Formats: sequence, C-alpha cells, structure tokens
Amino acid sequence: MNPTVSTANLTLPAVPGPFVQLGRSLAADALKLRRTAALWLTLASGVLPVLLNFCIFYFKGHLLLKPGVDGWAKYASMSWQTAAVLLPLFVVLLTSLVVGVENKAEGWKHLFALPVGRLPVWLSKLLIILGLNALAQVLFVGLLLAAGHLLATLRPELHLQQFAPPVHLLGRLLGRTYLATLGIVGVQYVLGKWQSGFVLPVAAGMAGWVAGLTLLRWEHVGWIPYAGPMLTLLTTPFKPVPGMAMPTVAPHEWYQLLWFGTATVLGYAVLRWRNLA
Amino acid sequence: MNTAPLVETTDLSFQFGERPVLHGLGLAVPAGSIYGFLGPNGAGKSTTLRLLLGLLRPGGGTVRLFGHELARHRVALLSRVGALIENPSLYDHLTGHENVEATRRLRGLAPARTAAVLAQVGLSAAAHRPVKGYSLGMKQRLGLALALLPDPDLLILDEPTNGLDPAGISDLRALLRQLREEHGKTILLSSHLIGEVEKVATHVGVIQQGRLAFQGSLAELQARQQTRAELVLETACAATCRGLLAELRTATVAAPGTLRVPFQSREHTAALAQALVAAGQPVFSLHCEQPTLEDTFLHLTETASN
Repeated sequence: MNPTVSTANLTLPAVPGPFVQLGRSLAADALKLRRTAALWLTLASGVLPVLLNFCIFYFKGHLLLKPGVDGWAKYASMSWQTAAVLLPLFVVLLTSLVVGVENKAEGWKHLFALPVGRLPVWLSKLLIILGLNALAQVLFVGLLLAAGHLLATLRPELHLQQFAPPVHLLGRLLGRTYLATLGIVGVQYVLGKWQSGFVLPVAAGMAGWVAGLTLLRWEHVGWIPYAGPMLTLLTTPFKPVPGMAMPTVAPHEWYQLLWFGTATVLGYAVLRWRNLA
Repeated sequence: MNTAPLVETTDLSFQFGERPVLHGLGLAVPAGSIYGFLGPNGAGKSTTLRLLLGLLRPGGGTVRLFGHELARHRVALLSRVGALIENPSLYDHLTGHENVEATRRLRGLAPARTAAVLAQVGLSAAAHRPVKGYSLGMKQRLGLALALLPDPDLLILDEPTNGLDPAGISDLRALLRQLREEHGKTILLSSHLIGEVEKVATHVGVIQQGRLAFQGSLAELQARQQTRAELVLETACAATCRGLLAELRTATVAAPGTLRVPFQSREHTAALAQALVAAGQPVFSLHCEQPTLEDTFLHLTETASN
C-alpha cells in the first residue's frame, strides 16, 4: 500500500498555554524525583539537626539549662544554629542533585526536542528545587517542635513543659531563612545547568559556604549568598534583647532575592539564545 | 495529494565556533518517505538533525517542517515529531515504564499511550525493571518508544540501530516499513552504513563534509550505480590489447592480463569481444562487474571530499 499524504498534514497544531506546559513539566519532573538522592537528602536534612540536638538535650540537657531559664529558647536556638550552618551546604547539594538527574541522563536534548517551551522547562526544575528546599525546612521546624515536646515528656526535669514553644518566632524565622537561601538556589541552579559535571558546581558551592562562614564579621558579608541563613539567625533574638528587634526582611535577605532574580533571569536568557546540544 | 517536502532546509549552514560544519544544505524529505540520511562519521548528520529539531540555531538558511518555518513555530511543529538523537536520554534510576511516563506527561498524551508504545517496541515484560539493568539494545528500543509516543507524523532517528542485535535491527526495519506503508508516516533516519539504509529507505541523501553529495530516490542512486559498471577482460597481454583498439584507450590495465573497461551496453560488449578476436588476441574471460551500493556511496563521499 502506498502512503497518501493529504494537505491536512501541513496544518499547524494548536500550542498549549504556558501554564499548561508548566504543569506538564512539573508532573514529569515530580515523577523523575522517585528514588533519587535529592529526595532522600531533603528528608534526611530536615531530620539530622533535630536528631543531633534532641540527643544533646536528652543526655546533657541538665548541664545546658540553668534553673528557671526558658529551655525552649535554648533548645530551639541551638537546633537552628546547627541548621543554619548546614543549610547552605544542603541547598548546594540539593540543587546539584536535582539538575544532575537531567545532566546524567543527557536529558536536556530530549526535553528541548519536545513540544514544550524553554521557559516552562527552566521554571519547572526551579520550582521543584524551591519546593524541596521548602519541604526540608518545614520538616525541620515541625520535627524541632515535635522533638521538643517529646523531650518535655521524657525529661521533665529540664522543665520545658513550663514554657511555651516559640512557635511564632520559629514561623517568622522559617520564612526569613527560606528567603535567605534563595540566592544560593539561583546561583547553584545556573552553575548546575551549565556545568554538566557534578563536581564543579558542588566545589564552587562549598567554597562559597566556607567563605560565608569565615567572613561573617565582614561588613559586606550580606552580599555572599552562602552566608544568608547564618546572618538571618544572627539577626533573630530568641530571647528579648533590649534595642534589638527582629526585622521583617533584613538587608542581606533583599540581596538574596537580588541574587536569585539576577541568576535565574540570566540563566534563562542564556538558555533561550544559546545552542542546546 | 500534496507533494511538498515534509522536511525542507534551504541554504542551511552552521558552524561550531570558527569551524564550519554545514554549507548551504538543501535537504528535501518527501512526505510519506523513508529518507536515509547517509554520511561518514563527522560529515554533519547529527548536526543537521539537531537543527531540524531546533536544538541548534542555524548560522544561515531556514528549516521548514510540514511547510512551516521551525524558528517561528517550534513548539507547535514538534508536537508532530518524534525523535531519537544519538544515545537515548534515559533516567537510569527509573523503570522503563516510568521513563516513558515522564515524557507522556510532558507531552500531555493519554495514559494508555505508555503501555501501547512499550508493547510496540517489545518491552512490555521488562517495563517495570529499572533502566540501569537494561542492555544497550533494550535502551535503544526504549529510546524508540519515546520517539513513537506521540504517534508522530514525522520520525527523526539518528543512528537508530546502534546497539541492536541482528534480530532487533530486522524488527526495527519491519516496524519502520509498517509505519510508512500502513500509517503514512515520514521517517528520516541517519546512518553511516549504506547497507543498513538500502534495505528500508525509499529516498537517500548523502552528506560529506557538510555538503549534500547526492539526494534523490533509492532508484536514482541505484541508476547511478549502474553507470559505474565495468567490463573485466582476461587476455594474454592487457597492454597490447589496449594499444590495438581505439575503444580500449580509456581502459585500465588492472594486471598484466586484465583490462577494466567502462560498461556501455551489451552490444558494445559483443563488438569488443569480436574486435579483439579479429585482431588475434585471446579472450579468456569477459564479464561485467557492477559496483555495490556501498562502492557508489564511498565514491560519492570521496568525490565530495576531493
């Protein structure tokens, strides 16, 4: 049988809207997360700081807490300190692992040969990273509160039950800390996309992390994205301190937003105009 | 019936940095054809296919698919195209089913398509195993399943038989023929092996150093092959024979007793044998040798590179 080719073959198909394309990209990217190190890292990162500090307070809490002192404030601030140190490293690894799923499979050429715009593909991965980052941080705060209540039950001599957990403060700190990680997400996302290997973006991220921690006293440290979570913690008093109020958004958090916006827009502009494979 | 090419490039050029890769390529893939895109490694086949999918931006010229300019309607046009470019892009940590499912979701297709294409490429039984345990041939078939997923009008396959065993290659050929003959699909497949393409293609394009050395139907390529046929004459002294007859001046002395003469016709062959015998030269044997299609392909690519 000879194939026949009708003029209908030349009709241009309709293009789905950008939000439909984004929804489809997100559905595909969510599926690709199954059994990935990125997903395990997200869950483990929420648990680790809480578990460490739970053990410290369970076994040595009586040495850390003076009688009559708000144990919740001490417990929450110590847990958050661990988290603030580890958080930039977590974001670096998370971003590289999520982008690495595509890099390892040489999946970009496949994605961009599909009927979907480059912007939905770019945004979808970014939203997945932002979602996992949020999940890890919310999980951390939830577990921190749950572990605090467990401590109060198991170790009543620590007198945690006599104080209210600082839920409001933790909620605000969570929001600001999330904001303070956005610059790292933006920079690492762009690095991960344009460096197909895993090592270089992670090495650059670790260098930034060390620089952020080392230069904490520098007056311009706010411009280093990797210092963001620690700076947010340092500008948050767990106990009332005369003359110190928690800002709604601190200057270094605005810089993070600037890093995030600039990196992701530039990254997309390069993706839009350069050859892909 | 519309006879406009389904894939058409006009004066297409591309360069990687300072290195030119394609020079004014004018590809024309007829609708409903299986177009074998042939060329040695590094000739520009994969680059051309990537340009056809919008993965690369042309340095000059245009790409038209289904009569529309790709640069203006990339997303719309790609919804009718399935492609497999070099090694298939697969997620090792996912199963075969999940790999297809990810692309199905991205294309917004009906859920039933996933199982359908896995069955089409013979991977239903292995569908729920992780891809990291697949053989090279299974990965290639899974890549083909991804390309077939949207039931595309145009299938672009870059070296699709890579990693397939002989049975897999035969199955692929049968599938491609079926897609064209029963469903009217247009298939553009690249290869560096003419033997692989001639068994399935209706049309052929030969590229060498970024330029088309030949483009036409397989029958036209075969006709060109016939014009390069030669008579092989075994005699006592080839050099003496060549000096004796005017029509043998263009002959080549292949060995002391062997002459090779361009074939013209059966009548010319008979007249030549008669003239040699009349001139007192023995004719031990006289037969016609036709170059294989592979020889013709090599000749085309060598001519283009010279």
